[in-house]
Order: sequence, then C-alpha cells, then structure tokens
Amino acid sequence: MDVAKEKELREAEALMEKNVLLTTIDKVLNWGRGHSFWPVTFGLACCAIEMMAAGGPRVDISRFGYEVFRASPRHADVMIVAGTCTRKMAPLLRMIYDQMPEPKWVIAMGSCASAGGPFADSYSMITGVDKIVPVDVYIPGCPPRPESLIYGLLQLQYKVNHPDKVRLLKHGK
Amino acid sequence: MGNKEVLRKNVEELASRVNGTVEEMLDYLVLTVKAPYITETLTAAKNFKETPCDFLHDIAGVDKMDHFEVVYHLTSLRGPQKLRVKAIVDRENPVIDSVTRIWPGANFMEREAYDMFGIQFKGHPNLKRIYLWDDFEGFPLRKDYVTEPPEVRNIMRVRRADE
Repeated sequence: MDVAKEKELREAEALMEKNVLLTTIDKVLNWGRGHSFWPVTFGLACCAIEMMAAGGPRVDISRFGYEVFRASPRHADVMIVAGTCTRKMAPLLRMIYDQMPEPKWVIAMGSCASAGGPFADSYSMITGVDKIVPVDVYIPGCPPRPESLIYGLLQLQYKVNHPDKVRLLKHGK
Repeated sequence: MGNKEVLRKNVEELASRVNGTVEEMLDYLVLTVKAPYITETLTAAKNFKETPCDFLHDIAGVDKMDHFEVVYHLTSLRGPQKLRVKAIVDRENPVIDSVTRIWPGANFMEREAYDMFGIQFKGHPNLKRIYLWDDFEGFPLRKDYVTEPPEVRNIMRVRRADE
C-alpha cells in the first residue's frame, strides 16, 4: 500500500472515533438501493416456485432485504423474470418494465428467460428476455436453486454498489 | 350382459347407420366416421340406451399427412363406458360441424383445435385463436408448418395504428 493511501485511511479511522462519516450522496443512495431491492412479482413458470422458495423461511431472502415482493410494478425497482417468456407475453413484459420507476434493473432467472431454454426452437418462443428489456444479471439453471437466486441478487447488489467497476468492465476506461 | 357388451352392441348398430368402422384399441372402442356424419354420431352416442356416453372429455386434432382427424373422447358420469370417436376431415378443406350445440363445453376445445390445426368448426359461436395471438400466421401443429428462425421470432410485434 502506498504512503498516501495509508495516511488517508488513518485519517478516516481517526474521524470514525469521533463518530464522523464521510461519503457522497451517490454512494449512500447506491448502498441503500443495493441492500433493499423491491422485486416485482413476475413468475411465469416453474422458476417462480424457486423464487417463492427463496422467499420462504428456509433460504430467507429477507436476510438481505429483498423480501418485499410487490404486486405493482410502480412500487418495485428490480424485475425478476422467472420463467418462460413467450412471444404473446413479450409485450406485457415490456409494458410492466416501462411502468417501473427509475432506477430499475432486470434479472433473467433460469435458462428460459436467459436464452429460451429447452423451448428455444418452438414457434411461440423468443430466445431470451434480453431481446425486449435490458438484462443486468443472468442466472443459469433449469430452474436455478434459491441459493442461485440469492447469489444473482448479490451480484446485482455488487453491480449497483460499484458503478465505476461496471463501467470499467463494460467500456474499459 | 355387462356394460361393455351393451356398449359394443350400441356402437356397432350406430356404425352401420353412419357408415363407420369400429375397432378396439387398448380397451377403448374406437368409432371412425366421415366428417359429415359427426353430429348424428355424437347425438346418438349421447343418447345410447343403458350406456349413454354423455360427457365430452376432450377434443383433439391429429394431422395424418393426407387428412386430418378430429378425435372426441366420450365418457359418462353414470357408468364406466368410454368411447372414442374419430372424424376424418379433408385436408384441403378442413370443415366439420361444431358440437357446441350438443355440449356447450366444446367451445374452448374446438377453438384449440382451430388454433393448432386450422380446422374450421361450422356453427361455432366464437371461432378465433385461443392460445396464440390473433395475427399469428399459420397453424403450428400441422406437419408442414415451418417454424420461423429465432431472428424473426425475436422481433417484437409492432403495434398497429388502429390498436
């Protein structure tokens, strides 16, 4: 660790003892957002059962602050697309996404929502919801276990908390 | 005479009346008729003496390449009898009489057969697509249906001006 950085950390530590916390508005907001996602209920198929199991007491996503499943997209800020999205459902999915207030994120849960899954060659399927809404996190599995969903939500939390790193990965500067 | 023998006698009598053929397949009596006779056949089957087949279990369409089949599964709540009626429908002009006047519950089942195979049910009160959206082209369960490639399927439907 270089000397300047160490000095900065020591100063921060001294301030901590006086109960002073220095941060930026953006960081606080992102910290809050990342620790209290309100998902919109969007279960389309069997993945929804795993999503419900994740809300149950055994693997409890309320430990992370994500348990407030909203029935209205106007209250929610993350959409967990759990299941098979057909071409008939696609306009409705887009409509619900458009109704969500900013900032908003999308998690594609399971192989159907990610890439069409076993139904990719069917006449009624689109190959992944990323063709209609921008997807932040893809969770593989058919269906993914609740632990996978929690891991996906934590990845999204990391993404929300570190917009600079996401930008770096995406654009390289 | 048991239920099965009575049913067989009734079905064979009916078959001779409507030019049908009877065969037994895995404990199921199968009566095959031509499409124009279907209303007569099913009305008679509903009113069989002693073994009325008065509950329409399911309607299915089958693509046999040179013709279509509409399969009616009949059972009853008043006995163990069960009967399968197959109607042979022309492939070029798939028209058959609707049975919604005999069983109102046939409404959605016939809409499904129309949706997947394009079989026209004459006399149906509301014959339109049930699973697929209204401007879907083609009938996907026909053997000659070619599925669109994913590049075409992934394009979202554009809303028309009059919607």
